[in-house]
Amino acid sequence: MKLNKELSMTLSRKIAQFSLIALTLVVAIGSAQAKSLLIINATIYTATNQGVLEHASVLVDNGKIVAVNPTDTPKSDEVFDAQGKILTPGLIGAMSQLGLVEVSAISSTRDARDKKAKITFDPSLAFNPLSTVIPYTRKGGITSSIVGPSGGESIFKGQTFVVDLSAKFDSVIAANTAVVAVIGAKRKGSRAMAIQKLFNTFEDAEKKIAKAKKDKADKADKAKADKVKTAKNKKKAKDAKPAAEPKRDEKIINAMLAGKKSLLVYADRATDILALIKLKKRFKLDLVILDAGDAELVAKQLVAAKVPVVIDAMRDLPGSFDSLHVTLQTAANLINAGVKVAFFNQDTHNMYQLRFDAGNAVANGVSKQAALAAITSNIADIFHLNTGKVAKGQAADLVLWSGDPFELSTHVEKMWIAGDEYSTDARQDKLRNRYLKKSELPTAYNK
Amino acid sequence: MPKYAPSLVMVALSLSLSGCLNNEPQDAKVTLNKNPYPSTYHTLPQQNTLIKNATVLTGTGERIDHADVLFVEGKIQQVGKNISVDNVTIIDGKGKWVTPGIIDVHSHLGVYPSPSFESNSDGNEMTNPNTSRVWAEHSVWPQDPGFNTARAGGITTLQILPGSANLFGGRGVTLKNVPSITMQGMKYPHAPYGLKMACGENPKRVYGSKHVSPATRMGNMAGYREAWAKAVEYKRAWEKYDADYAAGKNPKAPERDLTNDTLRGVLDGEILIQNHCYKAEEMAMMIDLGKEFHYNAGTFHHAVEAYKIADLLAENGNCAAMWPDWWGFKMEAYDMVQENVAIVDAAKNSCAIVHSDSGKTIQRLNQEAGKVMYRANEHGFDIKPEHAIRWITLNSAKAIGLNDKTGSLEQGKSADIVIWNSDPFSVYAHAEQVFIDGAKVFDRNDEKYQSQSDFLVGQPSISSVSPIKTIAQ
Repeated sequence: MKLNKELSMTLSRKIAQFSLIALTLVVAIGSAQAKSLLIINATIYTATNQGVLEHASVLVDNGKIVAVNPTDTPKSDEVFDAQGKILTPGLIGAMSQLGLVEVSAISSTRDARDKKAKITFDPSLAFNPLSTVIPYTRKGGITSSIVGPSGGESIFKGQTFVVDLSAKFDSVIAANTAVVAVIGAKRKGSRAMAIQKLFNTFEDAEKKIAKAKKDKADKADKAKADKVKTAKNKKKAKDAKPAAEPKRDEKIINAMLAGKKSLLVYADRATDILALIKLKKRFKLDLVILDAGDAELVAKQLVAAKVPVVIDAMRDLPGSFDSLHVTLQTAANLINAGVKVAFFNQDTHNMYQLRFDAGNAVANGVSKQAALAAITSNIADIFHLNTGKVAKGQAADLVLWSGDPFELSTHVEKMWIAGDEYSTDARQDKLRNRYLKKSELPTAYNK
Repeated sequence: MPKYAPSLVMVALSLSLSGCLNNEPQDAKVTLNKNPYPSTYHTLPQQNTLIKNATVLTGTGERIDHADVLFVEGKIQQVGKNISVDNVTIIDGKGKWVTPGIIDVHSHLGVYPSPSFESNSDGNEMTNPNTSRVWAEHSVWPQDPGFNTARAGGITTLQILPGSANLFGGRGVTLKNVPSITMQGMKYPHAPYGLKMACGENPKRVYGSKHVSPATRMGNMAGYREAWAKAVEYKRAWEKYDADYAAGKNPKAPERDLTNDTLRGVLDGEILIQNHCYKAEEMAMMIDLGKEFHYNAGTFHHAVEAYKIADLLAENGNCAAMWPDWWGFKMEAYDMVQENVAIVDAAKNSCAIVHSDSGKTIQRLNQEAGKVMYRANEHGFDIKPEHAIRWITLNSAKAIGLNDKTGSLEQGKSADIVIWNSDPFSVYAHAEQVFIDGAKVFDRNDEKYQSQSDFLVGQPSISSVSPIKTIAQ
């Protein structure tokens, strides 16, 4: 119970933080009071337009990157010599169910969906930082993740939240960061209904806002006109019903209309993507398309409308008529066409493979730096996070690799989340060690 | 139950002339046709070929640098250095790696194809806990685009299994990964059938939720035992029939039963068990179940906990087919360790396999094996590529009863070969050329050898809709 209370208090604190910074749409990661650290002699893949910096150093203080290649020799509590190894930003998982599921087939361990979930659904309240999936995921150099709801019957599945992989009770960095919706092929009924619902939802909200504005203006005019009149009238005006407070779901829609909250939509077919582009233009939304199987067919339109896509780089089978054109070259072709592309691996338990997905994208035509961006800085840009780049002011989420970060032969040597070092040891390592240990007693005695 | 159709009856004329005490004349002998849907596979156009100066992993544990591989008329003729021969196609293998064709022992391509609509999902006959009577080959859709993408990943042979809803899911079939209009055109000639069995959560969930046995793991075991007990009687009845007939009597043939035909095939050693079984304690019981009814428990698939009983598996001659890292989707997949394959492999006389069970990862079994090798080497193992390649070639061939025909680059074996553009255990590796029985079936740099499913033919192309510059394959 105590833990729960602690958690919910931490959450509300974090959420409050988020609502303040939501105006700038940037989620601040890295508020830990970590020691200062200077990493020297690293090959830094910055995931910024700085590219790769050889023999470079990075200064970390108070959970943030304070300087990259500082000119003077700064003071720090700790110095770490990277011996020329590759240092990248921590990788970022997107749309996982990290901390919302322990064992997928056991419904009592699943908290990402609920039949009644609507746009207001906030799964961050169910996040379990003690899930064994989290340390395992660190093996892939992932330091934070956007966690998404799978929702219920509504086309709005609920809202995302952002976590770091510290496995601490305060690892939810921000809740209710974006709205998730799904359109496309349906087993029952027409896909048109979902598209209509999207347009209608925003149109209705827009009308309501306009009406509220008009009412307010009218009232102000009336008040002005009434100013000269009697005290009786004054009292009447005072008693008049104030404009109704928007409902919870309306506030969320309004935030999207005001550009303060993103809309993330799963869609594959080209026509669905085009409909979403229209939606974005009509209501000036911060739109992100997820999966986007047919994206290559409408690459030009995506570029023109500045709509980023988050894709599974390993997808190449036509799962349905909505995704006949997805190949292993899709990532490269979209990037070459100028689309902003990020990668996700939605198998929560094996999200650690994200770096291999990026490697395979490289094998299929994406440049190494673009592939890195697709799992770091582009994710950060698309989801408005201040991590995913080795740059001043960013969260000190950093990973040191034994070699090429995308290679099967490479492993994470060290990782820092908000400036604190974390291990990649997981339950799996304990199990392995227990069974490799020779003992005359049964394995159960091996600790 | 269907009675004998006359077409199944073969007439034996050796009637009761010798020592028959029975005066009754013999009816025609009833014999079962064990191969009613025979393979019609023919090799694609073969080229006698010499690959020069490549890094060769033979599949038998050997690595030969700067080596040549010669195959003639579909068979490996020679592997070694400085082979020189006339009138063959020469491939410059400099910088390339050559391995045996990759074999996946666990695939549902064709039975759970793309697109994944109900109309063509034919992998699980979820109507009875024992559906040994169904054959996966009767569900295979040869136009599944996944066969082509798997071939581009170097897959030359694959076993298609029914799903795991039932205690006995039915027969699996081994295919050569060649494009074909019919299943028979892909069917690996004279490969033994597999019998898919399933332990654990799936059968008890599927039937328990219908309030039908099995609803528990003990129900699972009872279900297997009852089925085998009946199969033993069925086998005995047929053997008695055969013996009586041979003795000149005129016995009545037992009533034919398709379920027991399959189970009897296992008892006769003709059909190999392919057992979906995650957990250590269940695999141990399945081994004993085999002993109880006198068959070998075969290969354990998805053996997530095999590392806990590596010695037991090796001692009993059981293969274990595993993923490098899948876990957490079910309770029985919770105890995954990334070194599972390597730990199983380390036991003497072991048979460790990396399998896919996926239309996606079947395209990269080389990477799946690579992940295991590298993780294991970080934790005290010293596994070399020439050894790890066995997990997806020779050991796999053994599990499906084909290790005398394929799975290694040895003289006389089928020329099932992959030429990789680099070390196949790299994330950047591509299968460049793939050969089955010495015939080129895939070439990454030559569209002529890139087959396409009927399903994708004529769909609007990207270039016609959006003329952005696309990258050539």
